[in-house]
Amino acid sequence: MGPAPAGEQLCGAIGEPEVMEPALEGTGKERKKASSRKRTLAEPPAKGLLQPVKLSRAELYKEPTNEELNHLRETELLFHSSLLRLQVEELLKEVRLSEKKKDRIDAFLREVNQRVVRVPSVPETELTDQAWLPAGVRVPLHQVPYAVKGYFRFLPPAQVTVVGSYLLGTCIRPDINVDVALTMPREILRDKDGLNQRYFRKRALYLSHLAHHLAQDPLFGSVCFSYTNGCHLKPSLLLRPRGKDERLVTVRLHPCPPPDFFRPCRLLPTKNNVRSAWYRGQSPAGDGSPEPPTPHYNTWVLQDTALESHLQLLSTMLGSAQGLKDGMALLKVWLRQRELDKGQGGFTGFLVSMLVVFLVSTHKIHTTMSGYQVLRSVLQFLATTDLTVNGISLCLSSDPSLPALADFHQAFSVVFLDSSGHLNLCADVTASTYHQVQYEARLSMTLLDSRADDGFQLLLMTPKPMIRAFDHVLHLHPLSCLQAVCHRLKLWPELQDNGGDYISAALGPLTTLLEQGLGTRLKLLAHSRPPVPEWGINQDPPKHKDSGSLTLGLLLRPEGLTSVLELGPEADQPEAAKFRQFWGFRSELRRFQDGAIREAVVWEAASMSQKRLIPHQVVTHLLALHTDIPETCVHYVGGPLDALIQGLKETSSTGEEALAVAVCCYDDLSRLLWGLEGLPLTVSAVQGAHPVLRYTEVFPPTPVRPASSFYEPLQERSSLLPRLDKPCPAYVEPMTVVCHLEGSGQWPQDAEAVQRVRAAFQLRLAELLTQQHGLQCRATATHTDVLKDGFVFRIRVAYQREPQILKEVQSPEGMISLRDTPASLRLERDTRQLPLLTSALHGLQQQHPAFSGVARLAKRWVRAQLLGEDFTDESLDLVAAALFLHPEPFTPPSSPQVGFLRFLYLVSTFDWKNNPLIVNLNNELTVEEQVEIRSGFLAARAQLPVMVIVTPQDRKHSVWTQDGPSAQILQQLVVLAAEALPMLEKQLMDPRGPGDIRTVFRPPLDIYDVLIRLSPRHIPRHRQAVDSPAASFCRGLLSQPGPSSLMPVLGYDPPQLYLMQLREAFGDLALFFYDQHGGEVIGVLWKPTSFQPQPFKASSTKGRMVMSRGGELVMVPNVEAILEDFAVLGEGLVQTVEARSERWTV
Amino acid sequence: MVARRRKRPACELDDRIPSPPGYAAIPIKFSEKHQASHYLYVKAHGVRQGTKSTWPQKRTLFVLNVPPYCTEESLSRLLSSCGLVQSVELQEKPDLAESPKESRSKFFHPKPVPGFQVAYVVFQKPNGVSAALALKGPLLVSTESHPVKSGIHKWISDYADSIPDPEALRMEVDTFMEAYDQKIAEEEAKAKEEEGVPDEEGWVKVTRRGRRPVLPRTEAASLRVLERERRKRARKELLNFYAWQHRESKMEHLAQLRKKFEEDKQRIELLRAQRKFRPY
Repeated sequence: MGPAPAGEQLCGAIGEPEVMEPALEGTGKERKKASSRKRTLAEPPAKGLLQPVKLSRAELYKEPTNEELNHLRETELLFHSSLLRLQVEELLKEVRLSEKKKDRIDAFLREVNQRVVRVPSVPETELTDQAWLPAGVRVPLHQVPYAVKGYFRFLPPAQVTVVGSYLLGTCIRPDINVDVALTMPREILRDKDGLNQRYFRKRALYLSHLAHHLAQDPLFGSVCFSYTNGCHLKPSLLLRPRGKDERLVTVRLHPCPPPDFFRPCRLLPTKNNVRSAWYRGQSPAGDGSPEPPTPHYNTWVLQDTALESHLQLLSTMLGSAQGLKDGMALLKVWLRQRELDKGQGGFTGFLVSMLVVFLVSTHKIHTTMSGYQVLRSVLQFLATTDLTVNGISLCLSSDPSLPALADFHQAFSVVFLDSSGHLNLCADVTASTYHQVQYEARLSMTLLDSRADDGFQLLLMTPKPMIRAFDHVLHLHPLSCLQAVCHRLKLWPELQDNGGDYISAALGPLTTLLEQGLGTRLKLLAHSRPPVPEWGINQDPPKHKDSGSLTLGLLLRPEGLTSVLELGPEADQPEAAKFRQFWGFRSELRRFQDGAIREAVVWEAASMSQKRLIPHQVVTHLLALHTDIPETCVHYVGGPLDALIQGLKETSSTGEEALAVAVCCYDDLSRLLWGLEGLPLTVSAVQGAHPVLRYTEVFPPTPVRPASSFYEPLQERSSLLPRLDKPCPAYVEPMTVVCHLEGSGQWPQDAEAVQRVRAAFQLRLAELLTQQHGLQCRATATHTDVLKDGFVFRIRVAYQREPQILKEVQSPEGMISLRDTPASLRLERDTRQLPLLTSALHGLQQQHPAFSGVARLAKRWVRAQLLGEDFTDESLDLVAAALFLHPEPFTPPSSPQVGFLRFLYLVSTFDWKNNPLIVNLNNELTVEEQVEIRSGFLAARAQLPVMVIVTPQDRKHSVWTQDGPSAQILQQLVVLAAEALPMLEKQLMDPRGPGDIRTVFRPPLDIYDVLIRLSPRHIPRHRQAVDSPAASFCRGLLSQPGPSSLMPVLGYDPPQLYLMQLREAFGDLALFFYDQHGGEVIGVLWKPTSFQPQPFKASSTKGRMVMSRGGELVMVPNVEAILEDFAVLGEGLVQTVEARSERWTV
Repeated sequence: MVARRRKRPACELDDRIPSPPGYAAIPIKFSEKHQASHYLYVKAHGVRQGTKSTWPQKRTLFVLNVPPYCTEESLSRLLSSCGLVQSVELQEKPDLAESPKESRSKFFHPKPVPGFQVAYVVFQKPNGVSAALALKGPLLVSTESHPVKSGIHKWISDYADSIPDPEALRMEVDTFMEAYDQKIAEEEAKAKEEEGVPDEEGWVKVTRRGRRPVLPRTEAASLRVLERERRKRARKELLNFYAWQHRESKMEHLAQLRKKFEEDKQRIELLRAQRKFRPY
C-alpha cells in the first residue's frame, strides 16, 4: 500500500464491509423471514417440553420441491445430520456480530482514527531521558536495564490500518476486539533499532504519549494498557467507547514499524539481538563463545512487521467463502471452551485461521466446504500431525536464502512458518499447550466419529475448565519461586531472550522435568497460561509475580496409579547413574524376585487413595530436588474431598480396601452356599444386591464385635437387643444377597404357597449353615441373616417364576395373561434387576478404580443436602456410572475429586425433561437402539418419571426412579448443584489452599418450616456427620473380637424408624428431609396445597380439624397438635421442635 | 398463628367445638402434659338403604381421625366409660365390611406403620353409642395407669417383636402347606374324575393332563404363534420388486427425513427458548 493519507486508508479498510452490506442484509432478511416462519410452524412447546411431532399424511407425502431436495442433499453432504446443521446455524447466529453493532463499531473506529492522527508531535530526546513524559502516564514496559542508546520523538502514525478478525468477519462475540496497526513514521526509527530492545522501548514510549492524549478525550470510556498476546515487551493500548457501548468493543492499538524496515535476515532464529554485554553487563562466559541466539525476541519484532501481510493473505484466501469463515468461528468457539486460546502463548484464533489457510493451500480444505467440514478437517489435521517434529510452512518459494525448518525446530518447540518463511507463528506456544490442543483434537475426532447423537453439544457447548478436565491440579504460588528455578537451572540465555520474563523461561524445563518424573502415571500435563493483565495508564506495568499463580493440570492414567515402584535400570548399566541423578536420594538399589539388582524408587502408599496421590510425592520431591521450589510453594489439589468419604477415625484410606474386605467375605459366603449339602433344591446362583457389593456404600461396613454388657441378650433366639438405658447401639446394615434355587416342578403355582415354601427354605438354610459351617443365623419368613467374620449378610431365597405367578391374571374366557402388579414389579426389581445392576457396577469398578470414590462422594453430597431419601441408591450410582461410561468431552475420571465436579455439572445442566440419561452398561446398546430409546422416550414422556435413567436391562421403565424424586425435589437438587459447583471450583482453584472444603456439603436449613432437632444419643451413625462431632457416645463395639457370638442388633436406626412414622402419619401434609449419615436435624416443609382450607370429607380428615371460616365449616391442618405429635412420636429421640411460624399461616 | 390463638379461646367459651354436620367432635391428647389436642369425629355407624355392612347397626360407633399413637386397646379403654365395648377395629380408610376374622399370619404380613386411622367401635348395647356422642373429653391416650409406649420405648419393643421364633414359623408353614397340598390333591382328584366325561351338553373338556397335551391358554403362547405366522409371511414377500414399491419406499424415505427435520426444528426451537446456544 502506498503512503496514502492515513484517514482515507482507514476509511478504505473499514469501508470493505460497507460495500458488502447489501448482500449481507439480504441474507439477514431471509434469515429473519425463515425464523419467523419457523415460529409460526412450530408453536412454542408447552412448558419447555418436547412433544412428539405430528404431521399429517398430506404434509409428509406431498411432492418435494426442487429447493427442498437441494436442501436435503446439501445437509446430507455437508453436515452430519439436519439437527447438526440447525444447531451450527443457531450457534453461529449467537456468536456472530450483528450488522447494527458493526455499524456502531465502524463509527467508533472512524472517530479513533481521527483522534490518533491529530496527536501532536514531540521534539527528539534521548531514550533514557523521559522527563518530557507528562505526569499522568507511566511507560508500559519494564525498562531493565534502563540504559539504552538512541533517540525518540513522537510523530503521528504514517498509517492507521485495521487488521485481524474484525475485518474478515470471523470475530466472535462476546469480547469483540478490533486490532488497529499504527505504522510509526520512518523518522522515529533508526537502522539498528532491532538491537537491545531499542525498538520495543520506542514502541512503548510511542504508546505512552498516545495514551496521554487519548485519555483526555471524552470519547473513551476507558484507556488502559495491556500486552499483545501476553508478550510483555509489546504493550498495546486498549480503547473502549464511553457510555452504553463500553462493553461493545475494545480497540487495541499496536504500533508497528514501516514495512520492510527491518531486514529479515537479521531476525533469523539463530541470530542474537540482545547482547549479553548490555543485558547482563558482562560478556558471555568463556570469551570467544558466540552470543546465545534470541529466537523469541526476534519473532516479536518480526510479528509487528507482518501484521498487514497476514491480513492480506487471510482476506484473499477467505474472499467470499462463507464456509471457511463459519469454520473459523466454530474453531474459535471450540478453542475457547477448552480455555486454549487465552493468555500468554495460547493457541489463538489467529493461529487457527492461519491453519485453515494452510489447509486450503495444501488442498485439504476446499472453499466450498461447510463450516462443520472445516472444523472437522482442522481437527483431523491437528490430531494426526505433530508440529513439534515436522513443522509446516505457508511459504511456497524454495529460495535457498530462507532459513531451514530445522533451525526453527532447534529454537522453538512448535513450528508453523508464515508465508515469508521467516516468522514462526507458533513461537510462543509451548510444547505442553500444543500437546493439549492435539489431545483435545484427538478426543473430539473420536467423538465425531462415534456418531453420538449430540456431538455438537459436547464439542462446542460444553466448557472444559482446567479443574473439571484434569484429575489433579497443582498451583505454584507465589510465582517468585520460579526465579529460583531460573537460577538453579542456569537459564540465563532464556531470560535474555524473554526479556526477563522468568515464568516463560522456566515453564519449558519445568514441564519437561515433571513429565519425565511422572512417566507412566501421566496421560497429559497442561499448564495454565498466565492471564494477560490490563492496567491503567498512570500505573507501572504489573510485575511478573503478580500474574497470579501457575497452575498445572495432571491427567492421570489409572493403570499407572496402582504401582508404588519406579523401576530403574540395572545397577551396572550406564543409565543407572542418570537415574540416580534424576531421583536423588529417593533412588536405592533393590534386589527383585527375578534376581535382578536394579535402581528403584519406592513411594509410601498403603491404600488406594494414597496411591492416587503418589504424583503429589513425585512432584514435590522433583521440584525440591531439581528446581529448589520449596514444598510450601507447591499447592497440590488432589484429594481434599477424600476426607468426606473416609471412614471413622481413618485418615489413610478412602474405604476402597474396607469394601474389598467385605466383598471378599461375601465371596466366601457364596462359596459356602454353593457347596451346601442337604438342601432339597441346589443353589443355582448367588448374587449380591447391596451397595457394598458394588463398592458404592458411602461408609463401608466394619466387622461387628458387640460388647455384651451393652445389650440385652435374648438367649433363646441367640440375638442381642438394644437397651433402654444405653445409647443407641452401632448401626449394622445387613448386606442383601439373592440366592436363586434351581427350577423344579415341585414348586407350588400359587403366590401364597410359594411364600410359605420360600420361608421353609429360609429356615432350612439357617439350619444347614449353622450345622455345617458353625455360622450364627437367624431366619425369618423372607430372609435369613447370617453373621460371618463380623459381617452380616441377608440371604433372600428367590424363585425365578414367582414374579410371573404374581403377574398372572385369568380372564373370564380362561385366557391367562400377564399384567404387571406392584408386588410383581417390586419382586422383579429386587431379585432380578438389582443383582444385575450390582454385578455390572462391580465390573465397572474393576475397570475404573475411581468409580467407587466418585459414586460415594456424589451420594454423600446428595444425602448431606437432606435429599438422600428421595433418590434411590441405584439411581445415584447410575448417574455416577454415566460419568465413566459417557465421559465425553472429557475422559473417564481418575480421581474422585474431578468425578464429583463432573457429577455436579451433569446434575446441574442435564435436561431431564427432554432427555433420558442413557447409561450404556457393558456397551450393550447399539447406536440404533439408543436412537430408538430416545424416540420412544419422547412418545411416552408423560407416563415416565421425572428423572429417567435407561440401562440395557431397563430400557423402558426407569425402575430406579419410579418412586421419586418429584419434580420439585429434582429441581431443588439442580439448584443446589448449580450453586455448589462454582463455589467448589473456586475453592479448589484458589492457589492459597481450598479452605473449608465441607462448605458445599452443609445444607441450607433456612428453607424449612419446622426443624426437629434430634438427640445424638440415639443417632447411631452420629460420627459420620459432615462436621464430625468432637465427642459422641459409645456404641457398644469392642476393638478385639469378644466372646459374644450372638446376632448383633440389625438395621436399628431410630431416626429412620421415626421418619417412617412421620411420613406415614403426616405424609400428605408435609415433606421430611434428613441426612442419614449422622444428621442431627430433620427439616419439615409443609405442603402448601394441603394447607388450603378444604370442605369436610370423611376420607381426608387425617390430622386436620374443622373450623368455621366465614360461616362455613372447613378443614385445616391442626398444626399445633401436629407439632406436639412430632415430639410424642419421637419420644426420647427428639430434643426440640422448632417451628418457624412466620413462614406459614393457615 | 396469632390469629388462631385468638380464635381458640373464643371457641372454648361458647363450649362447642365445631364439627362437621352429623358428627360430634371429641378432643384427644396423648397425655396430661400436652397442650393442643386432635379431634376425633364420631357418629353412629349407618349406611344408606340397600348397601350392606357387616357392622351391627345401632351399636357401632364410627370414629374418624384416630391419631397414630392410639391403639385399639387404648381406644377401647377410653370409650369403656360409655358402655361395655365389644370390639374395636382400626382401619386405614372407611370400609363397610369387617376384615376377615381369622388373624393374618404375623410372619408373612407384618403390621404396617400406623398413620391417622378410622375406627369402628362396636358396643354391646346401643346406648353406648349415644353416650360416646355426648362425650366431652379431652381423652388422654396415655395415663399413668395405662402408659402407651412411643419413641425409643416403642422401637425397642418393636425390634424385639420382629425377631421371629423359628419353631412357630415352621409350624405355621407346615400347617399351611398341609392344607394347601390337601386342597391341590382334591382339585386334582376332581379333575381326574371329570377327565373325558362329557358335560350335560356333551362337551368334553380338554386339559393339559390328557394323553395329548395341548398348548397352554396364555397370552404369551398365542402371541408367539402369531409372531411365527407373521415371520413366515414376511419371508415370502418381495420388497422393492414392483415399480410402485420402489416409488413408495423412496417416498417413505423422504417422509422420514421430513419428519426428522420437523423434530429437529422443534428441538432447536426449544433450545433457543432456553438460551442453550450461548456457548459461554
